[in-house]
Amino acid sequence: MAVGDKISMNLLIEDCELNKIDARGLSCPAPVLETKALVESRRPRQVEVLVDNEPARQNVDRFLESQGYRTHVDQAGELYTVIGIGGGAVPEPTPGATASAIAEKRIMVMVAADRMGTGDDLLGAKLMINFIKTLKEMGNELWRLVFVNSGVKLTIDGAGTLEDLKVLEEAGLILLVCGTCLDHFGLLEKKRVGQTTNMLDIVTAMQLADKVINI
Amino acid sequence: MCGLDFPTDSNVLVGLSRADDAGVYKISDDLALIQTVDFFTPVVDDPYWFGQIAAANALSDVYAMGGEPKTAMNLVSFPLKRMDLSVLREVIQGGIDKVREAGVVLLGGHSVEDDELKYGLSVTGFIHPNRILTKQGLNVGDRLVLTKPLGTGIVNTAIKGNLASGEITRKVTAIMAALNRTAATVIREYPVHACTDITGFGLIGHLAEMMQGTGLGLKIVLEKLPIIDVALGFAAMGMVPGGTHKNRSFRAHMVDMDEGVDPAMQDIIYDPQTSGGLCIAVAPTSAEGLVEHLQSEGVEHAAIIGEVVDYPAGIIQVV
Repeated sequence: MAVGDKISMNLLIEDCELNKIDARGLSCPAPVLETKALVESRRPRQVEVLVDNEPARQNVDRFLESQGYRTHVDQAGELYTVIGIGGGAVPEPTPGATASAIAEKRIMVMVAADRMGTGDDLLGAKLMINFIKTLKEMGNELWRLVFVNSGVKLTIDGAGTLEDLKVLEEAGLILLVCGTCLDHFGLLEKKRVGQTTNMLDIVTAMQLADKVINI
Repeated sequence: MCGLDFPTDSNVLVGLSRADDAGVYKISDDLALIQTVDFFTPVVDDPYWFGQIAAANALSDVYAMGGEPKTAMNLVSFPLKRMDLSVLREVIQGGIDKVREAGVVLLGGHSVEDDELKYGLSVTGFIHPNRILTKQGLNVGDRLVLTKPLGTGIVNTAIKGNLASGEITRKVTAIMAALNRTAATVIREYPVHACTDITGFGLIGHLAEMMQGTGLGLKIVLEKLPIIDVALGFAAMGMVPGGTHKNRSFRAHMVDMDEGVDPAMQDIIYDPQTSGGLCIAVAPTSAEGLVEHLQSEGVEHAAIIGEVVDYPAGIIQVV
């Protein structure tokens, strides 16, 4: 696990830097839209947004609360730091958007390879396509689908699994794709489905899930 | 525009001295010309619908004066270097279709190259000099009728934030692109004392303009306001444009509202509207009939939202 530890530490450091937004000089709705983009792409557990006007403070505060964060504000003169804590686990269904129903159980499926099983690679690739196609049978209990290592290749342009994954995502499933892995294979630009994620989010998801299935 | 001396003559019936939705110039004893111009940057992603909305918005100022728009000219700013000309074609097609729906002819226009796309129209209309409707003219007891639902600023912000579904986007687009023509035609048959259209200053801002200098006050009933239903939810999530806050800080001193009112609802009354509805002051005994008539003609959201009161003067009570 030494290698894994190192990766997750690097990602943690990166995490803290990236979860701060300096929205000074921006007028509404830019600060809240930037906050929304960050919360959606990274689902961080803590967010800090620096703004320099009261309306922006109010909008960012409201948005973070609507996303399940507890918020508090540090004020220094005209500067406000809106801090949101404890979010990032389960996104609130947004009004008007299709949200999956709240399931009884939360199943996380972790896909760590681009084929299923060992023995024959060609067969393994076919099985994986079939597996992804059949996953929907889990219904609402399927809560997170996570891709790591060569599993990330299932989310890129041209992958035989892409269309089925898009259908799952449109139905409201959260797909998390390991950023370090995409980077390793030089595929960051080619990902076509899911949110790029980091080890901290993956570990948090494992902790919140009722069941983790490794493929 | 303080300190500037604008030329005028005795035929100017409505001009810059008391800013209204459009200017009116008397041609003869039974004909006056209404002139207005409005253009803006895109409010929706779809160029065709942007064209429709910009045209409906420009035409609205003539309707708000009680007039009949007759001719229009295109105003275009276009970033030739980074946008395909087919986009401009679609924008103008949207404008043409809306203008045609209004029974207005397009006589020409002017385009300039610019950093960003802007589109709108200058519109000329006709009206009888005795039938001009301005923002002035409120009487005590008049009922206020609003013809389109509020919340387009908030919903457009949510669309920018990718929070709105395609269905919501289509719904709000249709509301913004709807002409105020039917409403303007229907109100000619009723004892209407004042009229304006609700746009960038929000409901409160435009009501304040109607109230100014009258020595009267207004009372608005929140639960009567027509509102795009999802707007309250989006406002609660902080999807509130900067204009809402600007409108509030400019007019809050004229508004008497319980602090306990839902903050999202407070945002609705200050929310800047794109191509909003007409706000009409009508004699109290005719108000119900007017609303029913509007609804039967397809102005489905028309509602009585409040009334003109004699006390407290200069205050908009929101209950």
